[in-house]
Amino acid sequence: MTREEVYATLNGVFQDVFDDPSIEVEDGTTSADIEDWDSLEHINLIAAVEQEFGIKFSMGQVVAMKNVGEMADIILSQIGD
Amino acid sequence: MQATFTSFYFLCFYTCILFLYYLIPKKTQWVFLLLTSIAYYLLTGNGALILYPFAGCGVAYAGMRVMAGTEDGRKRRAALVGVVAALVGILFLLKYVNFVIQTANGIAGLFGIEGEALRGLKLAAPLGVSFYTFTLLGYVIDVYNKIAEPQKNFFRLALYGMYFPTVLSGPILRYREDGAQFFKPHPFDYREVTFGLQRMVWGFFKTLVISERMNLVVNTVYDNDMSYGGLSVWIATVCFAFQLYTNFSGSMDIVLGMSQTFGLKLPENFETPFFSKTIPEYWRRWHISLGIWMKEYVFYPLLRTQAFTALGKKLRGRFGKKRGKQLATFSAMFLLWFTVGIWHGGDWKFVIGSGLLHWAYIVCGELLAPVYGKFMEKCHINPKSGWVDGLRILRTFFLANLGFVFFRAESVPAAVRLLKAGACFWKLGVPDGGSVFSLGLDVIEAVIAVVSLLILLTVSLLQRKGSVRERIEKKKLPVRFALWYALLFYTILLGYYGPEYNAAEFIYQGF
Repeated sequence: MTREEVYATLNGVFQDVFDDPSIEVEDGTTSADIEDWDSLEHINLIAAVEQEFGIKFSMGQVVAMKNVGEMADIILSQIGD
Repeated sequence: MQATFTSFYFLCFYTCILFLYYLIPKKTQWVFLLLTSIAYYLLTGNGALILYPFAGCGVAYAGMRVMAGTEDGRKRRAALVGVVAALVGILFLLKYVNFVIQTANGIAGLFGIEGEALRGLKLAAPLGVSFYTFTLLGYVIDVYNKIAEPQKNFFRLALYGMYFPTVLSGPILRYREDGAQFFKPHPFDYREVTFGLQRMVWGFFKTLVISERMNLVVNTVYDNDMSYGGLSVWIATVCFAFQLYTNFSGSMDIVLGMSQTFGLKLPENFETPFFSKTIPEYWRRWHISLGIWMKEYVFYPLLRTQAFTALGKKLRGRFGKKRGKQLATFSAMFLLWFTVGIWHGGDWKFVIGSGLLHWAYIVCGELLAPVYGKFMEKCHINPKSGWVDGLRILRTFFLANLGFVFFRAESVPAAVRLLKAGACFWKLGVPDGGSVFSLGLDVIEAVIAVVSLLILLTVSLLQRKGSVRERIEKKKLPVRFALWYALLFYTILLGYYGPEYNAAEFIYQGF
């Protein structure tokens, strides 16, 4: 899977979780850029991403990832394994 | 020496430390801070109790070394479980065992067993036991999750756990963000030191001028809760909201300012919380370090346990995707808010006032959100208009105040009695005694309180647009000096301080 393909899938997950079809994410996107992305929705988003890509984030990754770029890096490293 | 930062002897202690800190070799500054932290414990009469934080650091250190020495998941997990059990166990014994005993006795009473079925324990707790326990727990969990480097030097870990400015009231530190700076050399930086001192003056203004005055009104009503009702209850409760805020955020200004004079940048704990439009927003801006700790080490791990994942699946199957997801989150949030409440103290008044009541607010807010949206749409009201925001701020402040009634009252029954008395609408027009000046502050004191609150409000509004200290820094020298000296003398002249005055302790130091 290429980074672009990861982002295409991530856009779908974000749009579904936040119920907003206009969301387009990129490397620098953070919780501050999406209105409903609070601590409650963060964990739902993580679960949805895990399900979509068939991966599992570690607890450290869940709390330490700072933006969507870091999320994409982790996804790529896990699906590449 | 009094532990509180506003005591004269503490300020002498701090001044000596600050001078010596920049005179000694830079490489030894962290050792000096450790020694002063030990001295702080000993000089404030904690004597043998210092063994508790030392033991806590020892347990955390041992656990980290085990984790650092192996990649075996089972061994690492066993080390983590051992550290968490030991630290939480000590905290439970020191702070919560009597809460459990009292609750058990209460339940026994319901079944007709009279007297004290179980006897409480009398254990003295060291200063700031909750704060250093949470700081150490977070660090060890981060090491387990491989997002923080394990500390190799026990004494460095001891400084991180026992750093004296944070002992009384936090903030709860995160090693992966704040840890490394403690051990770096800090050359004297005039700007950092003056900024730190300025922030400390602002903290003294909040605690000594505002909080102590509010305290008089609060005590008048809450210490005689059978005698007051109607408007008096609400005046005292709003005063308590400002007392608690100025006391806690003021102590944070002193802690963060003091740390800045040592070249250390600690995390912010407040961000003008009374301007929040919703309860979740309020908790993102009030005691921020506790909120982050609870989110990272309680809420997220809880939601990712097998039990909650299974519960979520079951609820989604039964109630549909959206509602099922919501219900699973609400159940985890119940445990989260119970923990937040009990962190504040082993008493049901804290569990309710700072915990479960806020859980109920958030759940109701989530469930009623669609109804609210439809209502606004039907009435053609723009939900983002200024006056709607104003009403939401007032609503959030009112809801937080209901929690403060429990927080400050003697007990849950006393809080309920005060809320009932406060609802006596025929007494809402005029406070008991016929005048607001019969509640502990005479006319002059009340004027000083109002003027000081207006200064706080003005600065808080300016803070929303950026650093006020940086803005003042850009002014001409006479203006800068006039502003800071005016604040300093205002605080010295109008603050409640000095050995003859028995200053109220930092409210959060009990935790």
